Amino acid sequence: MSATLFPFLRTKSLSPSVLLRGAHSSRVSYAQKIQAHNNSKFKRCYSQFRSTQDRTAVGVFTPTAAAVFVVTGVGLFYYFRHEKAKLLEQRQKEMEEKSVGRAHVGGPFVLTTHDNKSFSEKDLLGKWSMMYFGFTNCPDICPAELDKIGGIVTSLEKDYGRIFQPVFISVDPARDSVPQMARYLSDFHPRILGLTGEYATVKQTCKAYRVYFSTPPNADPAGDYLVDHSIYVYLMDPRGNFVEAFGQSSTEEEVVERVRKEIGKWEAQTGKKV
Amino acid sequence: MGWFGGSKSEQATPVSRENRQKCWETRDAYFECLDRVGVLKAGEEGKACAKENTLYEENCAKSWIEYFNKRRILAEQQKDMLAQAKVQSQEARRANS
Repeated sequence: MSATLFPFLRTKSLSPSVLLRGAHSSRVSYAQKIQAHNNSKFKRCYSQFRSTQDRTAVGVFTPTAAAVFVVTGVGLFYYFRHEKAKLLEQRQKEMEEKSVGRAHVGGPFVLTTHDNKSFSEKDLLGKWSMMYFGFTNCPDICPAELDKIGGIVTSLEKDYGRIFQPVFISVDPARDSVPQMARYLSDFHPRILGLTGEYATVKQTCKAYRVYFSTPPNADPAGDYLVDHSIYVYLMDPRGNFVEAFGQSSTEEEVVERVRKEIGKWEAQTGKKV
Repeated sequence: MGWFGGSKSEQATPVSRENRQKCWETRDAYFECLDRVGVLKAGEEGKACAKENTLYEENCAKSWIEYFNKRRILAEQQKDMLAQAKVQSQEARRANS
C-alpha cells in the first residue's frame, strides 16, 4: 500500500515500516531506509494531496475505496460460487463411488428385447428400473409378480412420469424366443420390456444379478417343464446401481413407498429425479 | 392339452392370461372336491373327483399339474407345522407366566 495511492490511510504512528521493524529486527536498517524514503516522499505528496485529504475528511469512502469494495465483493461472489459448485461435484462423485453397504448386483449384458432390438445394461441408465427374472411357462408366481410390477409402475408414473423401466428377463431361453416373449408380454403392462438371448448370455446375466435358475443348457424347446428360479424384483437407480430386492411378500404399496423414498433421497443429492 | 396346439413338435405358444385363469379355476374346483372327500394327495381319491380332474387335466399343462399337486401337500405340511409352532409358543408362554 503506497502512500501515493492511499494518502488518506496514512498515519505516522502506523506506517508499515514501523510494523516491519517490530517483526523483523534483522531488517531494521532496510526498513528504516524505506521509511526515510517514504517519509520524504510522503512529505512531498502530503502537500500535493492535502486538498484531496480535506475533501475526504468526512470518511474513508472514496471512489477508489468503493471500486476496491465492489471488485472484492464481485470476486468473492464468484469465488464462493465456484467453491460451492466444486463441493457439489465432489459430493456427487462420492455418491457415485459409494460402494460400502451396496450389494454387487448387476453387470454388463447384451440381450434382445421382445421387439427384436439389442439391449444392454447401458440402456437402463437414466431411469429407475425394476428387474424381474422368470419364464413364460411359469404357472403362477411370475404372472403375479409381473402384475404387481405393472401396478407399481402405473401408480408411480402418475406422479413422476415415465422415468421407470420395468424389465422381464427370461431364464428359459430355449422356449422363450423373441415372438414368444412378445405374445406373453401383451397380457401385461405395456411398459414391461422382455429380454431373452442365447443360453450362455442369459446364464452370464443371471450370474451378474445373483439369480439362480435350474434350466439345463440342452432343454427341449417343445418340452413341458418348469424352471426353478430366484423370484426377487430388483430396484436399480438411474446410474444402474442396485438399490433393493423385493420378495414375493412385499406388497405393491410397500414397493411404491420405498421407491418414492429413494427418489426423494436421489433428488436431495442430485437435484433431479433421475 | 389344448394350448399346445395339438402337436408336440411345434414350439409351445405362451399361456395367455385367459388360459391361466381357466387352469387355476379348474384346479381350485378339483382341490375343493379333494377337500370334500378328505384326500390330500391328488390321485388317491379313486373315482370321487373324476369330472373335476378331467377338466383340470384339460386346462393345465402336465408340468403345472405336478407342481400344483406337490404344492398342495407342501402347503398342508406347512399349515401343520405352523399350527404346531403356535401351540408350542402358547405352551411356553403359559409355562413362563
